[in-house]
Formats: sequence, structure tokens, C-alpha cells
Amino acid sequence: MNKTAAVAPGKQKAPVNKNAPVQKKAPPSRSRTLRKIEPYLWIAPSLILMAVFILVPILSVFQMSMSDVSKAGKIKGFNGIDNFAKVIKSPAFGLVLKNTLVWTIAVVVLSTVLGFLLALILNNQFKGRKVARAIVVFPWATTLVIQASAWNFIINKDYGTLNTLLLKLGIISAPVNWTPTPEAYFAWEIACGIFVTIPFVTFCVLSGLQSIDTTYYEAATVDGANYWQKLFKITLPLVKSSLTVSTVLNIIYVFNSFPIIWTMTKGDPANHTDTLVTYLYKLAFYNGKQGEAAAVSVIGFIILLICASAYMIYTLRKGDDQ
Amino acid sequence: MNTVKKPVSVQKVILRVLLYFVVLDVCIITLYPYFAMLCTALKGRGEIFSANGTILPVTALWSNFIDIWSRAPMAQYMVNSILVAGGSTLIAMLCGIPAAYALARMRFKGQTAFLGFVIVSQMFAPVVLLIGIYKVMMSMGLTDSIWGLIFINAAFNQAFTIWLLRGTFIGISAEMEQAATIDGCNRLQSMMRVLLPVAAPGIVTTLIFIFINAWNEYTVALCLISTDTLKPLTVGINVFNGYNMIEWQYLFAASIFAIIPVVILFMGIEKNLVSGLASGGVKG
Repeated sequence: MNKTAAVAPGKQKAPVNKNAPVQKKAPPSRSRTLRKIEPYLWIAPSLILMAVFILVPILSVFQMSMSDVSKAGKIKGFNGIDNFAKVIKSPAFGLVLKNTLVWTIAVVVLSTVLGFLLALILNNQFKGRKVARAIVVFPWATTLVIQASAWNFIINKDYGTLNTLLLKLGIISAPVNWTPTPEAYFAWEIACGIFVTIPFVTFCVLSGLQSIDTTYYEAATVDGANYWQKLFKITLPLVKSSLTVSTVLNIIYVFNSFPIIWTMTKGDPANHTDTLVTYLYKLAFYNGKQGEAAAVSVIGFIILLICASAYMIYTLRKGDDQ
Repeated sequence: MNTVKKPVSVQKVILRVLLYFVVLDVCIITLYPYFAMLCTALKGRGEIFSANGTILPVTALWSNFIDIWSRAPMAQYMVNSILVAGGSTLIAMLCGIPAAYALARMRFKGQTAFLGFVIVSQMFAPVVLLIGIYKVMMSMGLTDSIWGLIFINAAFNQAFTIWLLRGTFIGISAEMEQAATIDGCNRLQSMMRVLLPVAAPGIVTTLIFIFINAWNEYTVALCLISTDTLKPLTVGINVFNGYNMIEWQYLFAASIFAIIPVVILFMGIEKNLVSGLASGGVKG
């Protein structure tokens, strides 16, 4: 299966360098080194693409976070942790950080719970199941800007269709102002975030559910287990890995989600609905404070790094099991 | 089993009804924004802002769907979106397939490190790196260009490409490729002629998924593109979303054009994508 592993025990430790080993003399060892570097040739295009467009920006952001940066983006010199100090001292930052945590936790937790329940429902056999699954996938496929615009329109107090609908149904008698406070607006943004995140959770869980061997359930039924026992003793443990994958990915996506908040409120009024990403966007491209924006980015990385390392540990442990 | 049939069936009927009720509700709520968009796209300006509005348009103004093409460079936005999504899909696949192949079929030093980098790169959404991306793009003269968007989308979709394809390739036995190698094929030939045809469903799924991601991308395009005729749909349609006046009917008519192609594509891959996600992730 892996020839490269078979040829590996050469004594000279070839440097993991793309072109250097090729020059090494004699023909037999040449084909050997060629095989040795072959995998690197295969991953080279991908590696170069990611290095230039992901790794370099990462390094650049870290450099800028510790530099005095002009409005035009010129780095004027190292200034240690000045940017971080400025960011943390600014009165808005505490609010923004709180918003980010509320946003991430609310969206991830609620969409995970609701998405899981929806997956349990859609895992039943019923007529129209295919249609239902196709419909549920809609919000996942729709770009977030459009979803956010639609919801912004729906909840508008003057002409929004939610008021129209509720008035026609006789549930309310006068138009309701759905967004009386910034907090209420933020809650709607969270609702929109949940709405678009549910399908991803649902489909991750569904794939987990469908891989469960039905004989487990049959055996449990024979042993007299009820629905809840089966749910907690069979279903939950077996979809745990799917749930973990979707949850960790969602933490990253939701934490970094920009379009919903940007489309609905742009973080206004006065940072009340800002999260870290909208805040740093404004710092960088509206206020010309690129150094501080970079510092916000780095703070974001650090928070996410904690989550990502938890994920890495999880997947590595998973690898050992096999 | 047969003896307890009667009481169970009553309970079953209730559960069935409840099931359909919940499923129906979920579908209605899910489709509601699209329904609202469609209705609004068919209304006139006056009707949208009228005090006693209706749910359905009183007179359906299909002309809105035609007007948008002359009121904004919609055709150009559409072309740009196709170029960005198509170009980044092509580059992501050209780079991702060999990398996924190497990860699935070869053993080499730094393999875990590379896979680790791929996974960690997921953590950096473009929006957090925008300042850095902007700098890189400036140095390459790609700030206001379709090429810039193509490369960024291709790079940020590498993780998914490699992840999904590696899972697909691992799931396919290497025996046939070995047989091909014995018959005198080199690695490249055996991959192209033996593995890729077998892996076609997984590859198509990945391809469509990247296409949709790139098509729906908003933040980077918003930041990098300033020339109106270079904007993709997601950014372009906001011309109808002005600071003083929002032309909801045009915004939603344009949105529907932006949504339809991806929703159709997505429904085609929905089933494969999810199993791909799960296998790629769990086997990681």
C-alpha cells in the first residue's frame, strides 16, 4: 500500500526540502530520493496555495498586532503590546467580547439542540421525508447576506411581513415593534444565526444516525428498553462523534461569522451589537486603526485556539483508538 | 408481538400525526423567508411601504425581475460570481486532489504536521485575516481583481477539499491501483485512470460544495473589490440596499436569482455531502 514507507530506511536523513536531494549523485540512490520526495511534490501545489494566501496573512496579522501601523497600512515599527493594551482599555471592548461570547454560545448551543431534535425527527420513515430533507437544507445553501436581509425585512416594524402576517391571523391587533432595543435586535440576529446553522447540525447528526446498526435497537427492544433508554444508551453515544465534529466546526464558523450582523445592524448602535469580527472590520477599514484591529484578530485566535486544540486532542485520541 | 397490537396502534397514530405536524411546521418556518422574499419581489414600491400591507402581492409585478437587469449591472455580477466560483473550484481541486491522494496513499515525514496545518487553517476565517489578506493582495496587485477572490476562495476551501477527498480516497481500496501499477502505470496514471473514476461521486460532491461556498462568499469580496463591475452577486445586489432608501422589491428579485442556482446544486449533493463530512471528519 505504501511503497514510500518501504524505501524509507535509507541511512542518510534526507532533508525535507523539495529540490535539494535531487542533485545527490549516483543513479540508484537518485530514484530512491525521487521516491522520497515524491509525496512532497504531490502536496506542493496545495501547500503553496495555503502558504501564500493563509499562512502569510496569519504572520502578517501577528506582525501588525505588535507594530505601530500607519493609516495607510505601513508598518512604522515594533511597539510590543501597545495595540493590545489600547484595545483592552477601550470602553467598547468589554461589551464586544461579551456580545461575541453570547452570540457564539447561544447560536451554537441552541442550533445544536434544535438540529439534533430535527435530525431525530427526520430519521423516521414517513411519506415526504425526501422533500422535507430537501427543504431543511435551504438555509444552508443560501448566502448569509440574503438570509439576513430577508429577516431584516420580515421583522421591520413599519412594513415587515411578520407584523402583516400576525395582523391577518388576528394574533396581534396593532403592529409590534420587534426591535425596541439594541438587545432585542441582537436577539433577532442570534435567531437568524440559529436558523442558518440548524441544517448543518441536522445533517451531520443524520449521517451519524444512519450509520447506526439497527440490530442494536432490535436487541434493546427484545430486552424491554423504552424509547428514552434507547435514545440515551444507544443513539446518543453513537452519534457523539458526529455531534462533536459539527459542534467544533460551528464554534469556529459562528465565532467568525460576519455577514448576518453586518447586514442587519453593522454592529450599531454604539457597538451594542458588535462581535469581535465586525468590531475589527470597523477598526481596520473605517477608523484606520489597523494595528489595533490586528490585535483584536490575535485575541480572537487565542480564544479559538483553545477550542481548536480541544478538537485536535479529540481527533488524535480518536486516531489512537483505531 | 401480535398480542399487543391494538393499544400500540392508537399510540402510533397519534405519534404519526404529531410527526407530520412538526415536520410541516419546520418546513413552513424554513420556507417562510423565501416566501416573503418572493412576495416582496413581486410588489410595487408603494405596496411594500403601504400602511395596511397584504401578504400576497395585490398585483404581481413580474417586471421587477426584468427591471433589475437594467437598473444594476446584474449580468456582470452574475458573470463575476460564476468566474469566482468556477475559478476557485478549479484551482482548489487541482491543488487538493493530489494533496488528498498523497495523504491517503503515501506515508511521509511531516504528514501529520501537514494534516494538522490543514485542520488549523479552518480556524482562521478570512474575516479575521482580512487585514493580512489585504496586505498580501496589495503586494501582488490583486486587491481589486477577480483573480484575488479566486485565489482566496481556493485557499480557504483547501481544508474542506482535502478533508472530504482524503476520506473518499481512504474509503476506496488501493488494490486496483496496485494492479494498475504492476501493469506499468505510474502513480499519476493509476490515480487518473483507476482511482478518480471510482471516486467520482465524492469528487463531484466536493466540487459542488466548493462552488457553493465561493458563490456565497461575501466578506472578502466586500473588502477587496471596489470597482462596481467586478463585484460578485453577494456584494453587488446591495446596490438596492442604499443608505437612504432600500429597494426591497429589487433586492429580493436579485436575491432570488442568486439563490436558485445554489439551492438546486445543493439539493443534488445534500446526501453525499453529509456522509462525506462525517467520514472525513471521524476518520481524521
